[in-house]
Amino acid sequence: MTIYLVIPLLALVGLIQATFVPRLAVWGVFPDLPLVLVVSWGLLRGPRQGLLWGFVAGIIVDLFSGAPFGAATVPLMAVGFIAGLGQTIVFRNFLLPPLAMFLATMFYDLMFLFIVQISGDLPQGTGHIVEWSGSLVRVIGASAVLNALLAFVIPSGMRVLDRRFRHQDVGMAGL
Amino acid sequence: MTRHRLRRLIPYLLIAAVLGGLIVQRAGLWQPIEGLLSQAAAPLQKGLSQAIAQVQGLTQTARDLRELRQRNVELEAENARLLLEIVRLREIEVEAALQRDLLNFAQSHPTFDIQGAHIVGLVIGRDPTNLQRYLTLDVGRKAGVARNMPVVTNRGLVGRISDVGETWSRVLLITDVSSSVNAITQSSRATGLVQGRPDGLPVMRDIPQADTVSVGDTVFTSGLGGNFPRQILIGQITAVERNDYDLYQTAIVQPTVDFNHLEMVLIITDFEPIEEQATEGQ
Repeated sequence: MTIYLVIPLLALVGLIQATFVPRLAVWGVFPDLPLVLVVSWGLLRGPRQGLLWGFVAGIIVDLFSGAPFGAATVPLMAVGFIAGLGQTIVFRNFLLPPLAMFLATMFYDLMFLFIVQISGDLPQGTGHIVEWSGSLVRVIGASAVLNALLAFVIPSGMRVLDRRFRHQDVGMAGL
Repeated sequence: MTRHRLRRLIPYLLIAAVLGGLIVQRAGLWQPIEGLLSQAAAPLQKGLSQAIAQVQGLTQTARDLRELRQRNVELEAENARLLLEIVRLREIEVEAALQRDLLNFAQSHPTFDIQGAHIVGLVIGRDPTNLQRYLTLDVGRKAGVARNMPVVTNRGLVGRISDVGETWSRVLLITDVSSSVNAITQSSRATGLVQGRPDGLPVMRDIPQADTVSVGDTVFTSGLGGNFPRQILIGQITAVERNDYDLYQTAIVQPTVDFNHLEMVLIITDFEPIEEQATEGQ
């Protein structure tokens, strides 16, 4: 898919994520659409495309988020790349994409928190506080389950995109 | 008799028939003939008149239908316009109510210089991640907003400004784990620190064991530390966790602000946190 489509598509998804999606909270958490898209695309198109999508989606999420810059970009690039490594095996079983999404969400959220903790400072000189155990139990687990449920549906939709735009692929050189 | 001759005779025949009719009428013989003719014609007349009435009805119905359709289109357009008007007026009503509430807050806190702001819910509203709790507002440096300014609604404390742009600002909510607010309970005057938790329900920590804290107590900002003004409502205690071996007790606080349905907030622009003043002084 050409970069001229990837950027507006992910920007639109980021905008929806920052406005509408938080209203769909279940168990106190809401789906992470940019993450789900990046992982799905990585699983479909390999590490290179996963990395590229992770970069674009990460920049957009970081723009909308109050977290330090890079807190979303770095983990999204990482999960996009790692998801891409499982490209050839993950669609052999319909349960593998949700499992991959579950693990990717855990990895992404933990890496996000790690970056939040080590970078930046808040007003009044206080650093970002991370409550690891509480976040793991109350947020990350529920979020991983929710994203895994979406992985039953979204990668199928992404396959349509994949077939439609496969000939227009743009790699890192296209940036 | 040729056809030509017959044609010449027709006027005479007609005149003769009329004259004959007059003679028959004058002789009183017309009425039975008329009765017989009328009796024979009545069913035909009735059928015809009914058919005509039906045709007339049909054309009238078609005309009515056309008019009704036209009227319906007009009424639907009017209905849509009125619905839009109702929606607009309701929006104005809600906005007016919000502003009235905020005004009440402003009037009850006359020492604050207050700057009103809208949350840009449709554009850059909320934090896109589950792990952070921020809101983005549509006012920034241009409107006099600066970092650390407290953000409130008529229902209580929302948070403080953490980032500012020219026309936007970001608010760190009191429900974020990085947020901490010095607080005091209304009835027992117990002091503590209200901190956010990952699930969005803040806790009041560091409450001395000697203090009595009970469910239902309201929690206000204490003003200690100089980060927030005094006496801004934070929430209500819903549970108390107390262990004899701990130095402090902890209470779960249900914020009075509904963070999921925030539309308008107030930024207290004249309040300068102590640490910020110290930083500027350096």
